[in-house]
Amino acid sequence: MDSILRAAGMYVALMLLFRVAGRRSLADLTTFDFVLLLIIGEATQQALLGDDFSFINAMLVIATLIVLDVGLSLAKLNSKPLARLLDGHATLVVEQGRFLHQRMRRARLTEDDILESARDSQGIEHVEQIKFAIVERNGKISVIPKE
Amino acid sequence: MNEDELLSRHEPVEEDIRMQERVWRFERVGWYVLVVIILLALAGAFGNGPLSDAQVTSTDGRIQVEYQRLSRSGTTDDLRITVHGIAGKPVKVMLGGSLLREASIETMQPEPQSSISHGEALLLQLGTSRDGIATLYLTLRSESVGTLEGIVRTSPTSAVSFSTFLYP
Repeated sequence: MDSILRAAGMYVALMLLFRVAGRRSLADLTTFDFVLLLIIGEATQQALLGDDFSFINAMLVIATLIVLDVGLSLAKLNSKPLARLLDGHATLVVEQGRFLHQRMRRARLTEDDILESARDSQGIEHVEQIKFAIVERNGKISVIPKE
Repeated sequence: MNEDELLSRHEPVEEDIRMQERVWRFERVGWYVLVVIILLALAGAFGNGPLSDAQVTSTDGRIQVEYQRLSRSGTTDDLRITVHGIAGKPVKVMLGGSLLREASIETMQPEPQSSISHGEALLLQLGTSRDGIATLYLTLRSESVGTLEGIVRTSPTSAVSFSTFLYP
């Protein structure tokens, strides 16, 4: 029983922590982010399994996590407000070649971050060439160039 | 935020900037909350720190117990029991309470001369040093959650009780 409670507790706790970390935090996985992610996984694993290394326990933990995750996505399908609450919105950060600085500051984005995405995805050199840059719900920056 | 940036855009994506503001505020407040949690943890609010280290002495001063006020389920904790007896003569110590019942004793140093059960408690006979002091070092591990109480007694008049709260 406690392995299921543990898995459920961990699911909720991690969801809250990653919400606090913001969607940008682990969006563009640098080498360091990757190592950080591994360490987080390592720290989680102990608390999830306890000292029960049985096959059944591992299956119960995995099943609980999948049930919660699928359940949540089903709930999101049925309730738009819930989906908005959990996933957030896409947010504009560049509009018609103009940075929206206050929004960028709150989203912890610098001009360089946006220009980097623009170069990477669209081969854009200057902000004037960007029609829209949008922080997507998963933290990636989409860039739409001017025609 | 200046007025223009506060407005929700509808092209190319549908925005709800008020909601987004709340999300940003949540991130900011959440960050401070995490900082506070880390500072509390450093201070020992979750065990092993100044807030958690505790010491209790019996009213007649014969027993002294050093224990952790706060701890976590599944971790090992040190417990040090010092008993003042008569020099050269062994001293009898009774360990009881839910802590010593629920937790498993991982190590016990030094080995007591004898160890027998006494109801739900454990009756130990310890050798004393030349100045009449016997010290017992215990490591305990408990899987339970909540408040556990420990009682150490040498005679009906000298006893100490202490409690440990175990986080999940």
